[in-house]
Amino acid sequence: MSIERSPGVPEIETDPRDRIAEAREPTEKTWFRNLDEAVIEADRCVQCGSCMAACPSDSIGIDEETGRPTLVRMCTGCSRCWDFCPRSGLRYERLNGLEGSEARSAYAVSAAGDHEGQNGGAVTALLAGLLEAGEIDGAVVVGDGGDALTGEPVLATTRTELLESAGSSYTQTMQLGRVDELIADSGLDDPDIALVGTPCVIQGAAALDRLQYDDELASVTLTISLVCTRSFAYERLRSLLIGRGVEIDSIDSLEIDGGDLIARDDGGARLLTEDVEAFDAAALRGCAECSDAVGEAADISAGNVGSPDGKTTLLARTEAGEAAIDAATADLDPDELDETAALEGFADWNRRQAEASIPRDLDADAPLSITYTEHHDAYDGTDRAPESLNPARVHQYEEWC
Amino acid sequence: MTLDISIADPSWVDDRRDGLAVVDARDRRDYETLGHVPGAVNVPFESIRDSGSDAAGHLPDPEAVRELLSAAGIEHDDPVVAYDNRRGVEAARLLVTMAVYGHEGPLYLLDGDFDAWQRAYRTEQSVPDPGVSRYGSVSLRASALADRADVEAAMGNGTTLVDTRTASEYESAHVPGAVHLGWEAFVDPETGRLKPEAERRAILEDRGLDPDDPIVLYCNTARRLSHTYAVLSAHGYGHVRFHEGDLTGLIREHSPDWDPKQLYEGVREVASEGYDALAEELGEDVFGRLHLIGLYTVRQDGYFMLRTKVPGGRLTAEQAKTVGRITEEFATAPERHGGTEQNPVFGDGFLDVTTRQGIQLHWIRIEDMPEIWDRYESVGLTTIQASGNTLRNVVTCPTAGRIAGETDVNAIAEELADAFEGSRRYANLPRKFKIGLSGCQENCARAELQDLGFVPATRDGEEGFAVKVGGGLSDGPRAATDLGIFVAPDEVVDLSLAAADLFIDHGSYLDTAVNRLKYVVDEWGTERFREELRSYAPFEFEPYDRTPSSDYRGDHVGIHHETGDRYYAGCTLPTGRIGGGDLIEFADLADRYGDGELRTTANQNLVVPGVRGDTLESFLGESVLDEYSPTPGPFSRGIVTCTGREFCKYGVVETKSRGHRWARELDSWLESSDVPDAAVPDAVRIHMSGCSASCAQPQIADIGLRGEAYRDETRSSQAVDIGLGGDLGQPRFVEWVSGRVPVEDVPDATKRLLRRFFEERRADESFATWTDRTDADRLDRIVRTDRAVAGAD
Repeated sequence: MSIERSPGVPEIETDPRDRIAEAREPTEKTWFRNLDEAVIEADRCVQCGSCMAACPSDSIGIDEETGRPTLVRMCTGCSRCWDFCPRSGLRYERLNGLEGSEARSAYAVSAAGDHEGQNGGAVTALLAGLLEAGEIDGAVVVGDGGDALTGEPVLATTRTELLESAGSSYTQTMQLGRVDELIADSGLDDPDIALVGTPCVIQGAAALDRLQYDDELASVTLTISLVCTRSFAYERLRSLLIGRGVEIDSIDSLEIDGGDLIARDDGGARLLTEDVEAFDAAALRGCAECSDAVGEAADISAGNVGSPDGKTTLLARTEAGEAAIDAATADLDPDELDETAALEGFADWNRRQAEASIPRDLDADAPLSITYTEHHDAYDGTDRAPESLNPARVHQYEEWC
Repeated sequence: MTLDISIADPSWVDDRRDGLAVVDARDRRDYETLGHVPGAVNVPFESIRDSGSDAAGHLPDPEAVRELLSAAGIEHDDPVVAYDNRRGVEAARLLVTMAVYGHEGPLYLLDGDFDAWQRAYRTEQSVPDPGVSRYGSVSLRASALADRADVEAAMGNGTTLVDTRTASEYESAHVPGAVHLGWEAFVDPETGRLKPEAERRAILEDRGLDPDDPIVLYCNTARRLSHTYAVLSAHGYGHVRFHEGDLTGLIREHSPDWDPKQLYEGVREVASEGYDALAEELGEDVFGRLHLIGLYTVRQDGYFMLRTKVPGGRLTAEQAKTVGRITEEFATAPERHGGTEQNPVFGDGFLDVTTRQGIQLHWIRIEDMPEIWDRYESVGLTTIQASGNTLRNVVTCPTAGRIAGETDVNAIAEELADAFEGSRRYANLPRKFKIGLSGCQENCARAELQDLGFVPATRDGEEGFAVKVGGGLSDGPRAATDLGIFVAPDEVVDLSLAAADLFIDHGSYLDTAVNRLKYVVDEWGTERFREELRSYAPFEFEPYDRTPSSDYRGDHVGIHHETGDRYYAGCTLPTGRIGGGDLIEFADLADRYGDGELRTTANQNLVVPGVRGDTLESFLGESVLDEYSPTPGPFSRGIVTCTGREFCKYGVVETKSRGHRWARELDSWLESSDVPDAAVPDAVRIHMSGCSASCAQPQIADIGLRGEAYRDETRSSQAVDIGLGGDLGQPRFVEWVSGRVPVEDVPDATKRLLRRFFEERRADESFATWTDRTDADRLDRIVRTDRAVAGAD
């Protein structure tokens, strides 16, 4: 499907710098403006924050109105935002292969205490156990934002803080880009931190850990991926809920369970139960291109697929993941799972969904890097093709050298 | 004379939708997938915003408006209702745009946005075919707009200025005398609807706004003011205009915060309280403003880089000694950052000469600045406007005034610096502004790289200058182009101020990535630029008769004749870095052998002028010249680097130590190679910039390097783009033949390139000429391919 361009809307690659330049650029030189066209303007950004975390000059920040990446100071043309973006330069399925995508062991766990939250109950218990055992000094999790639809990343350092932030959030927060600042603000000195995030956040974290430029995310010693099939664009989800007569302020929690999106008020009563597919229009379009619902690059994957009701499945994917679950046994009451077919079936289904949406080939044996040209070759002419850059994101910033 | 826009109640709209053109201003995807008001057509807000750098504010091109509205099936006299999902502010902008372009039908802003609508009224999913209309001719009602001069006039003529931004933006800085009325004041945050009419009226009265008052609205990008405009129009305010231009320049020119001298005094006052006091006392945004007085924050928290202005690169021995002592005393790293061994090559207490002949010190603490400034003032040095969006250090021939028959441009350089210094207006241009003055025929001041580059020319036997405009490097390199006019020496300052005035009016204060003067020149073309500039200049433009044939000089290294029995000695500072103590020694040499003066050069070297011929031999025996030689190897002579990742927050790669090490290694490689001495060029010009900003001017080098980050499946590392064949004599910029080469591969790649050059060069062909005639793909292979590999190249 191709898109008819509206009159007056400029073509891609019409940045004044491309027009003016009297020196030919090397092939595959990529700038934030290329990321803006291919990912952000093309409405494929999944707001994981990998670009922000990868930028060695801290030039990328978060646009207040859209929650998406934007330049806050001069782009130096180092390409790292492109290289670490799971929607452009980073072939995440290859990364997962390099990281060793097979799970080492599987558990069905439940929180020993009285924890709220969807998968969060068990994950919260795991983190609390690790904190109290001194295995970690804190955990970056997504807590409550301004309303039930939004989240806000926090660095929790106590069981109480973890409990306060328990529960699921279905909008993205550019979480990976905010980890350094959270640690700096915490006052902790060289801490060991667990990072809990969606698979794309974990992909970015794993890639940066493997391919460090400047000790990015040096404090992150454990990664936990939450099983995820999609996240939502805040404004669109809000609009769809209002259209169904649900007032945002009356929602206390949202969850996806059994294929339904469920909104509850603060008494736990259901305000809405509807097939989650009815909210497809509000899903982040970039999420459809992800075949990694379980977060294969993580130390631990966590989700409610494949375990008995009330239990959460934890897959330990690395030694660090196994050790973490061992260390928190008292808080988790784990049963080893012999049978992970349900989870595998789910992952296969998700992969088929992604293959139907993603214009490029999913190929875990292809090189990790996807160049600018390769991206264009695969995406041009599709409904996910790059679109002309947004000057507000690319040209308008206040800091330069 | 206010353009008519009314407020439409949703029930009214719902009742008579068939008679209205309902326009949805959300983005296309929202419109198509989230439902919309039944029958609404889509004109996305983004599509009615101008993104060009030469925009008259943010209004789109009239033809684009006509096309957009035609494609949406809207007729010129249709009654139009607009809505969005941003509580009306973007829909209001669409309506204001239509109104200012003369839409003939009535215009209505829907009270409440789409979310407010869908709480009470039906929506539709299917996308209607709007058909195609032939929207009538479109012309601008300019009387609705207030330009910068109108806003400035409004400060004193009884017109009420209304700032429609947020309270915190207003408090941070606003146009003097403006009333604050944030656009959201009229919106009920619970419902997204407008507040009741009586409440709106009360708000207007509270701000002292009378319907008969002349009013000018402003915000930052003319979006938010549109909502307020619609409300005022609906309330019968009859004399409302709005300002389309960027606010930044206006506010800065009229704000004491952006006055370089007041800032300088302010920092002096609080400096003793330390780093944290700067933001507390002078505002959170102070660090950006500090550029105006030469201070840059760096990678090391709590410390600064200090840039000192040296117009024309001319330092008296006394000034040089002062700089040297300050460097030794204050440009020193604390123990926890390595102290005296902080840098493996240069130790501690060093300074950098820049490609604009300026001087930069590192590890500066704010507490020491009053003392540093006191010492500077006592010898006539300043850091005021050493940086920021103003005239940067004026570049001249480093031998200006020394050579018979050449114009002494240093006096003009001083005048230029003075004309801009301390002026709030000229301290706050849209972006930095660079001027170079060459008095010689060798283009020492690199006219093509400047916003304004002056080179010698004559008219009717009178000596003066030709001027080139719109040069610059960085991520959009452009060589300045000849305006074709003659500028007498006493007109240089006037012409430069005229160009600055033009820049203020026509440069964008908003699009900071692409707003150097070169973008205006490029958009207009040189002819139109000259015609526009003519209206700013206080003298008539006449063509010059001729410019002397010019031959680009490159550098000033070596011993060269001045006049009579005087010589100048050009000494290399590889990468421009020199110890403070060594600079003092040079100043001492200048006193003992020369005229008590030193010059810095755009190649980051040092010139000792006026050395007497009979003392040359003894001068050349001075030990400080062992390190900073007038007869260096070709790589030491040619190396130029920026500050790099050692200190700079933008630097992707480290440059100074690396460049110094490479130059030494490559010189000894060449010396021990089998290349005959006669074939060895005087200089191999490697220019290494730590990022895409061009502080080391890589585009004019033999081998230009630009910081990058390499990444494969197993590692990340510092890397460079390699460009070859830059030559200002042509003029020609490098071609970037190889991208993202791991930085450790550069010395061997350089050797391979040089070997091929020596094998293949024709007669006296230069390296740049050889690379220019050699296929870029082949050069890339030479760069990347180790010669040991069979079949390489």
